[in-house]
Amino acid sequence: MNQGMQIIREVSATAETDAFYGKAEQFGRHAAHVLRGSRSQLTGLENIAESTLKTTDILDYIKKQTARYQSWQRGFPQATNPNMGFGEGLKQYFEKDLRATRDAMCNGRLKIGDKTDKDKLLRRRVYLLLMRQFIRQMVIEYEYSVSQARGSR
Amino acid sequence: MLSEAQQQKISLLSDTVLYPEAVAFIRKLVDEQDCSPLPTTQVKGLQSIAESYQFNELHRYIVHQFERNWPDSKSSIKTLYIELDRLFTTMKNKRLRDEFHLMGEERGSREARAMEDALMAALAREFIQHMVAENGLLELEEKQRRAREQRERTANRGGNRQ
Repeated sequence: MNQGMQIIREVSATAETDAFYGKAEQFGRHAAHVLRGSRSQLTGLENIAESTLKTTDILDYIKKQTARYQSWQRGFPQATNPNMGFGEGLKQYFEKDLRATRDAMCNGRLKIGDKTDKDKLLRRRVYLLLMRQFIRQMVIEYEYSVSQARGSR
Repeated sequence: MLSEAQQQKISLLSDTVLYPEAVAFIRKLVDEQDCSPLPTTQVKGLQSIAESYQFNELHRYIVHQFERNWPDSKSSIKTLYIELDRLFTTMKNKRLRDEFHLMGEERGSREARAMEDALMAALAREFIQHMVAENGLLELEEKQRRAREQRERTANRGGNRQ
């Protein structure tokens, strides 16, 4: 199997783990709680994630939204840390946890180093695919939570 | 005009080097040198120059900003532009070749200067994008800190009256 295919397979396998999927669900519910009807805010995030080649474009976008909108600054009563705002929490998750996941995947089964530019580009590809997958799953949970809330009204 | 390889290298540098450096740069100014985050008007000016002009124009703008007579209340704007100028000067004179390997050793010719300018414009754009995003968070943190202090003062006054 070529390396590109192996990366896609490993990212898919990681996205199915309880830790990854559970966290995406949690952020999706958090988004539904704070953004409610503002679907366009998540559409912007999805568009950036799907179109960029730089992981920092996604992080910069989250920072800008967090600084600009109070909704991105609001916490979620059901979260581990209820005072942590949606944007700050998502940024921290991407910068710490997801980066650690990427490193574990690259150092482990993918056997991708971190010295040459070629290795660094591959590492970035893995990180970007993880971010995209996470955002997709988070948005699905957001849609589901919003529709559930509408149904219960 | 930058080659595809140069653009790819700059994009990688943006993620691996410029992002953490831009975050550290603005955080250090605010946390250790008591600077305020850059105000919105300055952010907009800097971003628009970085996005639409060549590096020598951006450099001229940065020099113009730190040479202005800022009142004491805005001295941190001057500090920020001085530090930004230092950072870009080191990047241009040293890191472009020695660390980033984006250019060979050629210097001085018109072609070399044009290439240097194009590369620096692209690197500076990336750096400023990351710095501005972090600056927004710092502004928010400062606003939240002021609101917290205000609440505490109000609560203390209430407590003293009882």
